[in-house]
Amino acid sequence: MKFVKKLQESILKYLDHNALCINNTFYTYKDFAVEISRIRNAISNTVDDDEKLIGLVTNDDIQTYASIIALWLEGKAYVPVNPSSPIERNHKIFELTETKYVLDSSVDSIYQEYSVISTLIDKDVSINLKDKKVDGNDIAYILFTSGTTGLPKGVPITFNNIEALVRAIDAEPEFNLLPSDRCLQMFELTFDFSVVTYLFPFLSGACIYTIPKGAIKYFYVFKLIKEQKLTVLTMVPSIINYLRPYFAEINAPDVRYCSFGGGALHSDIAKEWSDCLPNCKIFNYYGPTEFTVYSGFYPYHKENHQKSHNGIIAIGTPQKDTKYLVVDENNSEVQIGVTGELCLAGPQITPGYWKNEERNAKSFFIKNEDGKDIRYYKTGDLCFKDEDHDFLYVGRADFQVKIRGYRVELAEIEFHAKANAQKKVNMVALDIINNLGNAELGLAIESDPFDTSNIFDHMKAKMPDYMIPMHVQFVKEFPHSINGKINRKELKTYFDINELK
Amino acid sequence: MNKEDILKKVREAFISVLEHENFELKDETTANDVDGWESITHMMIISEVEKQFNIKFKLMDLMNMNNVGDLIKTIESEL
Repeated sequence: MKFVKKLQESILKYLDHNALCINNTFYTYKDFAVEISRIRNAISNTVDDDEKLIGLVTNDDIQTYASIIALWLEGKAYVPVNPSSPIERNHKIFELTETKYVLDSSVDSIYQEYSVISTLIDKDVSINLKDKKVDGNDIAYILFTSGTTGLPKGVPITFNNIEALVRAIDAEPEFNLLPSDRCLQMFELTFDFSVVTYLFPFLSGACIYTIPKGAIKYFYVFKLIKEQKLTVLTMVPSIINYLRPYFAEINAPDVRYCSFGGGALHSDIAKEWSDCLPNCKIFNYYGPTEFTVYSGFYPYHKENHQKSHNGIIAIGTPQKDTKYLVVDENNSEVQIGVTGELCLAGPQITPGYWKNEERNAKSFFIKNEDGKDIRYYKTGDLCFKDEDHDFLYVGRADFQVKIRGYRVELAEIEFHAKANAQKKVNMVALDIINNLGNAELGLAIESDPFDTSNIFDHMKAKMPDYMIPMHVQFVKEFPHSINGKINRKELKTYFDINELK
Repeated sequence: MNKEDILKKVREAFISVLEHENFELKDETTANDVDGWESITHMMIISEVEKQFNIKFKLMDLMNMNNVGDLIKTIESEL
């Protein structure tokens, strides 16, 4: 696999460069190469060749990053689980993927019912980054996102998918990482955006800077920008929304690139943020997990490139080998200027949801174009194409929302909220925009007030923290629209989240 | 305003954001010690404290704030 070979070459070429900065400790590519070699050695000594999916506990340390590369060199996939997610959810993920082996750098692993391979290895092994031959259709990682039935949804991404992503980014002349770059890696490894924030720096001999677990993310990002003079930022828009009150104090001339993704970027804040980064190119990336992180971008510039719709910056054009198609409810292409659902085709498309034929039948379709069958993924995002062939984002087609960059199905929250409630009442999860422009989750309960602690205890045991509603509102009677549906829009107005009690 | 009064007001800000009183605030208390105190609620607590004391923190101070003691010290310097 070409990109795995390139990783190997880059690591060996830049052995004396810094590869990672974790909690103020720097590790060189040599340190990294040693850890990778130790871990792959342990993998090949323990795991059969045909055992392909390997669990990975995503701690914030060099061993966890080395485990990903080690697995790829061995032609295997990582199935990441976040140690701060409920253990039950993580077990479910391993159950769904039939994972037998778990790589874990924790001193005391809590995954003893699996075969745990500790990645804290203190053993002399010679550096060996030679990659095994892999089938490009084999899986390189599987990520789980929120599902409607309370069951997380698995998205497998193959080696070929990643190869196509690397090819597309390499083909982009506006974006070139250098071995001297210092890059922010602020994402959980269970979040697909993390793939571009470690992979591209490692391919270039650059250094990544992580956020320690437990740090106040927003301020830590600023601290890294200021003290470590980061040159490349990749972030979700909510980060700058929370930093916005302090923009006047931010001036970061070292930042060369700032890429956004994972949520709508609003033009007013983009302009203000751009003032903080006087020497920076800003990219507004678009792409779902199902399409290997990025599918295209819009190059934003506060003076001459600020196309937007309803205050949301354009998502631009598809990248190399990717096709965008805007369709109506019959999957037929709509005309320029007409809003429809955005669909994506090309080599970055996932082979399909993990063991979920029902969902696959809904989310993918084949379209015959010039005698060829092209497979499209339906993103659930509403978009339109303008006269310049730029794509503009309009909103979500369903009740899936973005919370701090994570995709959340409101139905999943409602499912878990109702599951353990002592009173059988109607509950609706809502995304409410706060005065900083971020979506926060609210739970509306159709009842007189009662103690919700057991509802919340249950939700916290079932879902990661970003899915737990931050606001609760009791409403005597839910407002309804004319056709009898709960009027979610009006229900949101019952929450006064910007006025703290 | 003495330290005790400041701490009392800070506690009120925590309660209003976290919606529980199940914590003790000492100088060495960090986000790890208080249920629900994480990145997002921290931002809400900061803005609530700014409102209560009618002050505005500097990003440089917020960046190096590691525990409740740091928070109190910064409030004192702003008053």
